[in-house]
Amino acid sequence: MNIWNWVALGGAAVLALIVVGAARRRAGASASGRRFFRHPTAAPGLFVLAFFVLVALAAPLVAPYHPYEQIDVDHLQNHAPSTRYILGTDPLSRDVWSRVAYGARISLGIGALAMLVAVTIGAAVGATAGYFRRWVDTALMRLVDVGLAMPRIFALLMVVALWGHIAVPVLVLVIGLTGWFATSRLVRAEVLSLREREFVVAARALGARPGRVIARHVLPNAAAPIIVSAALGIGNVMLLEAGLSFLGMGVPSPAPSWGNMIADGWSKMAVAPWSATFPGLAISLVVMALNAVGDALRDALDPRREAV
Amino acid sequence: MIVWVVRRVAASIAIVWAVVTLTFFAIHAAPGSPFMPENSENIDPQTIQRIRQKFGLDQPLPLQYLFYIRNVTQGEFSESFALHRPVADALAEAIPHTFLLALAALLIDFTVGLALGIYQAMRERTAGDIVLGNVALFVNSMPTFWLGLVLLLVFAQRLSAFPVGGIADPVFCPRINSAACVLDFVWHLTLPALTLGLVGAAGTARFQRAAMLEVIRQEYVRTARAKGLRERRVWLVHALRNALLPFITLVGLAFPFLLTGAVLVETVFAWPGMGQLAVRAILERDYPVVTGAALVTSTMVVLGNLIADVLYAVADPRIRVRGAGA
Repeated sequence: MNIWNWVALGGAAVLALIVVGAARRRAGASASGRRFFRHPTAAPGLFVLAFFVLVALAAPLVAPYHPYEQIDVDHLQNHAPSTRYILGTDPLSRDVWSRVAYGARISLGIGALAMLVAVTIGAAVGATAGYFRRWVDTALMRLVDVGLAMPRIFALLMVVALWGHIAVPVLVLVIGLTGWFATSRLVRAEVLSLREREFVVAARALGARPGRVIARHVLPNAAAPIIVSAALGIGNVMLLEAGLSFLGMGVPSPAPSWGNMIADGWSKMAVAPWSATFPGLAISLVVMALNAVGDALRDALDPRREAV
Repeated sequence: MIVWVVRRVAASIAIVWAVVTLTFFAIHAAPGSPFMPENSENIDPQTIQRIRQKFGLDQPLPLQYLFYIRNVTQGEFSESFALHRPVADALAEAIPHTFLLALAALLIDFTVGLALGIYQAMRERTAGDIVLGNVALFVNSMPTFWLGLVLLLVFAQRLSAFPVGGIADPVFCPRINSAACVLDFVWHLTLPALTLGLVGAAGTARFQRAAMLEVIRQEYVRTARAKGLRERRVWLVHALRNALLPFITLVGLAFPFLLTGAVLVETVFAWPGMGQLAVRAILERDYPVVTGAALVTSTMVVLGNLIADVLYAVADPRIRVRGAGA
């Protein structure tokens, strides 16, 4: 770490604080926004998320080395954390902090994109099932039953292992495709009650097509459960990706996903615990922040809580 | 009620059948096969032909499927490609290991989780509640296998208090046949069970705290207080009994969590259970073991949900009325 890396890191922290402050000011305008920030863990969670997103974006500035660079294979394996290598070096003599910083891009990116896939499918299926009911509902919900009966990691392992080395975008797609079942149930329940409301009946009476009614009138009012399950879903995906990478079947090495880093450091856990410990800590922190924000969002967006 | 249970059981069987079917066609649709000539160039093509014939892989796929399903309904799981033994044997050996691990983990999960959740709810918004709440949130957010690695590092590597892996001492206790060996087994079980149990307990605590706080605002709790009952009795008898209802759902949900977590935790602790068996079978393209594992795990998940639903109906008359009407 040279002085400029420290400056960049400090800058990221300050910027994250500013982002949270700005969000808080804007949220003050609405009741649900105020409820969100009244949750004690909401602001710290948001700060952690903003900080890691900024680190991911500014990885070349905050990281002193390239994530693949083997600094000195002969003398610098498993170097303990020091001022120069703040999180130490891994068994292949790569700077752990640099890999954590670049790894944020991969881990957060996969989490966000796979969740986007999952929530999109989940919302579409849930809305279709809840809106059309009858055999459409029955067929889709039985499909969801089957999907939920299969442990997700088994399904993923099967696809990933049997199809051999798959590229990261495909991995994202596959993780997304196995993650929409629970969301679709939530959305369906919401849509079932929404479709009987007057404004939906009015839209139908005016001759709007089902697609338009769902997209313009039903789904926007079912946003709360979708947003909450999205926040919680990212964390889930990150844990899954870590597990898959740990088994050697996630992001292909040497790309620095946090799960990969745990897998790389595992063999030398006894002599160099830092190379597997810090990436795990990073995952735990980000997932914790996502859970905290998800909890606060649920409290803020759930209208039933207003009475309490 | 009985009609409802029968319908649920039928639906559960249909779900398991669907999972097995999906798994069967998915693994056969994957590129490559376990006995391809190109990854074994030195083998005589006739030998490959013979092996394929032996395992029925030369038949058309739909026929293989019908054959497999017929066998499964008769309790036959065919022969593993890689283990040189019937799949049923391998599963029968692995299932108790995973089951015991899951049981121990559940025990930790529910005792620690319930106690924490109740304690936190009773001390709502005090320093103790807030600190414990954040700790629980953090533990609940850890990758399970990573917590396992950290526990291994601290308790097995640094303190040498527990073994680094395996299920029993291979020299003194190759088979559990004495009281000392039972202790040895428990000693081996502690770290993996703690790993799974603690992550679960953190979730349970969060859930139970919320459930308690929801119940404590109900009118019958006010009645209990108005009667002049002690606060302890109000919480632990009147509130807890009602707050345990949503807990039943958690019991059903714990099954898939434990199974999923077990896949990785079993790898970390070299625990010879279902997770390890399935992962190895997938890597080795051991088709019969993969489908067998899919059958067993989906059965466990469905069974967990079914038990939770039935318990719910038994415990909560409101659900029973609705369930009977549906």
